[in-house]
Amino acid sequence: MSKRNGTVAVVTAALLLTTGCSSPGGSASGDAGAPLVIGASVSLTGDFSDSGKAVQRGYQLWADTVNAAGGILGRAVQLKIVDDASSPTQVVTNYQNLINKDRVDLTFGPFSTLLTIPASQVAKRYGYAFLAPAGGGPKMFEQNLDNYFFVQPAPTVQSGDVFVNYVLSLPADRRPKTAAYAELDDPFAAPLAENVRQKLEAAGVRTVYKQVYPSETMDLSPMMGAIAALRPDAIIAGTQNEDAYSQVKSLVQLKFSPSVLFQSNGANSPMEFPDKVGAGNTEGILSPADWFPGSKAPGSADFTAAYIKKYGGTAQSIDDSSAEAYAVGQVISAVAARTNKIDNKTIISSLHAGSWPTLLGTLSWSANGAPSGEFNLVQWQKGKLLPVFPASVAQASPEAPKPAWGG
Amino acid sequence: MVQGVILGVLTAGVYALMASGQTLIFGIMRVVNMAQGAMVILGAYLSYQLFTSFGVDPFLAIPATTAVMFTVGVAVQLIFLRPLHQDDRTQLSVLVTFAVALLLEGVMSVLWSTSDRSINTGYVNASWTVLGYQISLVRLWAFLLSLVALGLLHVLLRRTRFGRAVRASVQNPESARLLGVDADRIAAIGFGLGAATAAAAGSVYGLLYPFNSGSHYDLISQLLSIVVLGGLGSIGGAVVGSLVISVSTAVVASAFSPIWAPMTFFVVLLSVLLIRPRGLFGTAARGAL
Amino acid sequence: MRMRRGVGPVRAAVFFLVLAVAPTFGLAHWLLTMLVFTLMFAVMASAWNLLGGFTGYPSLGHVAFFGIGAYAVVLWFQHHDISSGYEPFLLLPAIGLGVALVGLPIAAIAMRTRADVFAIVTITLLFVGQTLAFNLRDITGGAQGASIVPAPFPADSYEIPFYDALVVLLAVSMGLTWATMRSKVGLSLAAVRMDEDKAAGIGVRVQTVKLLAFCVSVGLTAMIGGIWAYYEGFIYPQFAFDPLISVAMVLMTFLGGRATLWGPVLGAFILELAQQYFAYSLGGSRFYLIAYALVFLVVILVMPRGILPSVRDRLWRRGRRRIVDAQLPAGDGPL
Repeated sequence: MSKRNGTVAVVTAALLLTTGCSSPGGSASGDAGAPLVIGASVSLTGDFSDSGKAVQRGYQLWADTVNAAGGILGRAVQLKIVDDASSPTQVVTNYQNLINKDRVDLTFGPFSTLLTIPASQVAKRYGYAFLAPAGGGPKMFEQNLDNYFFVQPAPTVQSGDVFVNYVLSLPADRRPKTAAYAELDDPFAAPLAENVRQKLEAAGVRTVYKQVYPSETMDLSPMMGAIAALRPDAIIAGTQNEDAYSQVKSLVQLKFSPSVLFQSNGANSPMEFPDKVGAGNTEGILSPADWFPGSKAPGSADFTAAYIKKYGGTAQSIDDSSAEAYAVGQVISAVAARTNKIDNKTIISSLHAGSWPTLLGTLSWSANGAPSGEFNLVQWQKGKLLPVFPASVAQASPEAPKPAWGG
Repeated sequence: MVQGVILGVLTAGVYALMASGQTLIFGIMRVVNMAQGAMVILGAYLSYQLFTSFGVDPFLAIPATTAVMFTVGVAVQLIFLRPLHQDDRTQLSVLVTFAVALLLEGVMSVLWSTSDRSINTGYVNASWTVLGYQISLVRLWAFLLSLVALGLLHVLLRRTRFGRAVRASVQNPESARLLGVDADRIAAIGFGLGAATAAAAGSVYGLLYPFNSGSHYDLISQLLSIVVLGGLGSIGGAVVGSLVISVSTAVVASAFSPIWAPMTFFVVLLSVLLIRPRGLFGTAARGAL
Repeated sequence: MRMRRGVGPVRAAVFFLVLAVAPTFGLAHWLLTMLVFTLMFAVMASAWNLLGGFTGYPSLGHVAFFGIGAYAVVLWFQHHDISSGYEPFLLLPAIGLGVALVGLPIAAIAMRTRADVFAIVTITLLFVGQTLAFNLRDITGGAQGASIVPAPFPADSYEIPFYDALVVLLAVSMGLTWATMRSKVGLSLAAVRMDEDKAAGIGVRVQTVKLLAFCVSVGLTAMIGGIWAYYEGFIYPQFAFDPLISVAMVLMTFLGGRATLWGPVLGAFILELAQQYFAYSLGGSRFYLIAYALVFLVVILVMPRGILPSVRDRLWRRGRRRIVDAQLPAGDGPL
């Protein structure tokens, strides 16, 4: 009957076995010559895995580029990327493991965005700087973490500001008079659209319709039908991906083409969007972007060339998530170059001051990690996604009003 | 409002088709098939693949995809469900079919990655204007196809030897066995048929909505609500359940707010169950199909 | 049979002693973190077992109550201060009790249906919970999520209070299971599982015992939800009401053995540790989900009653071949 104690035996053995290998005292960082190990947890499986992989490619590309040039302060960069399966418990375990088990020197942020807050708090507990290519929702900055830096030009909610500025730059008689708002209920899309709505209302654009829809809504036709019936001049949509495609498809079916159509996400995806809605239906649609093919920002040309060399495709096929991840690495390189040191304390204290050039433009951060720049406005013109506003980056002038569908 | 009702009715056809497979499987085997949603998505992927690689129209691809899914369904029944013990088959089958759903999801994410796919035929955005209301062509076709498929299913169950054997074993498995009905064979073919209806619905689903390997979670919750509402095991109930749920969802979404649309059918479901724990058309004992 | 009497308590004492003293050996943070999550699932599987294992009502919606517990803690401490860091733990008994009371009318409606339909109704509960958490934006923060102040514990021993609270809850839940199995309640629950109508016919208070099992089970689950939310620091509706948490509870119980004392705990230790470890070390493999599903299927097909009952049967048969005991119903002994 001794086997009956198997349960206890197994559990005890497992515990003892694992405690055995957990004796503290891994290699402390700082030795010149030793590799600089950087850990990140990315969603390689689960709901967010495609963008997760794009982030992984961006990190890897940066590490390759740096290593080809002799590493950071003579130390070769070594990435340790683990999978969080898009789960908030796994992401906590993963950063614990990276920091306390594998004793990585630095941590980079995760993808998906919904996992950034729990992950950044683990990093904060152990004094790690946390640079994240995604996770710029308002709640993130409310955490007031001094180790957090969101590596995009502006908090996600403000990425619609460039569109507002564009509308206000138009002469009064060419501005839209009425607008309808369709907002996806997620941490980014709805607040972004709300931000645009408040600013446009203040500028005298009348709101004729406003609706928030949940993310599992597969069928957006009822809502788009209600909007089409009101025939607003502008439709401003806070979207992610597939809902953006569904909106356009519904509008095409309803044969209603507003003179201004702005979608906060999805429409800025250079490959997927024309594939999903039909290339003829993209003309004139507006969207915000940080990086775009042909950008003149520092390092952008090198990044594009290296990306195509390593992963194939064309500049048009690069996901902005890869560019944003690459920018995280650029910031780290820049800190090392300016301070001649690379450790978490230096990174945190350096990044709260000064401005830092990246392929997303020049970045700077406030105390809670919110960046203070601005996005660019891109528009579909003849099958290509081109920056049209502000004038400093524009490669074409904005096309207005948006032509009818299938043009 | 009228636009909402039109949409709801057209959508209901597709849901009725998916749910009829689910309810058929339950009727024959007392198995709540948690993998029905995943099978619909697999059907959608198959027809996506046929369309993108060979340019086969999703509607024309249906014979091929249903044949493939029929085989998949029979295989699932033979490998995973048949070995279960009779006494706790109902409980275990929920888990086994859920595991099958995860398995299919895993396989689909390996084969097609997890980004959204949609089938874009030339006519996918076309619509007719009737009395000032827009009727999407593809939805209309989908609706008609679902009616045809449901009609075929009805004929199969009512007019053929196989159908009589199925109905006999649904009503009374013991006497059916005594009369020489091979219950195992009926179960395997029944599961295959359920999967085949999923494939047909999947081709249409892929035309209507973007999908990815994880889409089956949303789908299964709606399908389960429909079959429970209609009464597990009743095909007529599945049709009525689909109508109630799609129309109420579409009307609430267009007239009130899409946020509360998913809540509508949960409320409908719970209130029906409060009055009739076996659903609208369910019977306490084994019933007619 | 006589031998089992003495072994049970000793085994339990050893188990909890090991759990209680383990952190004093300076377990690394990463290991403690994994144990914290594992203990959460051990308690939840054990709690699910009280209902699903003993009565045979397969709830797939327990995570609805997990989510309620999670939001209860977060929302309460948006209006109340946390100073010592222990306040959320002190709130847990109130949450457990409150959710058990909320569960009573729900159980009364849901348990009008039987096994298969009950499973579906409970899934509905989970989606109702999630929809409410998304849509009652003024209360829950909706899709924006809701945060709780991070615990002010020092980084060196940050995990310990969570760990200790979970060990206590595991003791409570296993103690309740043990008491159930030794009392008339356990017998009544088994009668419900075997044949509810017959049991009611011979005077078993079917309604009372099954409602009781439901309420206790969801109350415990809600308390774990509260600890989880505090540990994560930030919750979103889709994570607090994640269907996969429900599935994990069921799977762990089935893996270890339904209606047994140790089965669900064993299942949780095997599955959760394996999952956390493999996702970390085999990251990037897309075959992870396939492997998980296959393990799931193999366990149910090869050991439909779980590890413990299957192993016990094998030992039992070897020991007493002459006594034909193949009919031993699942989980009649406190193994």
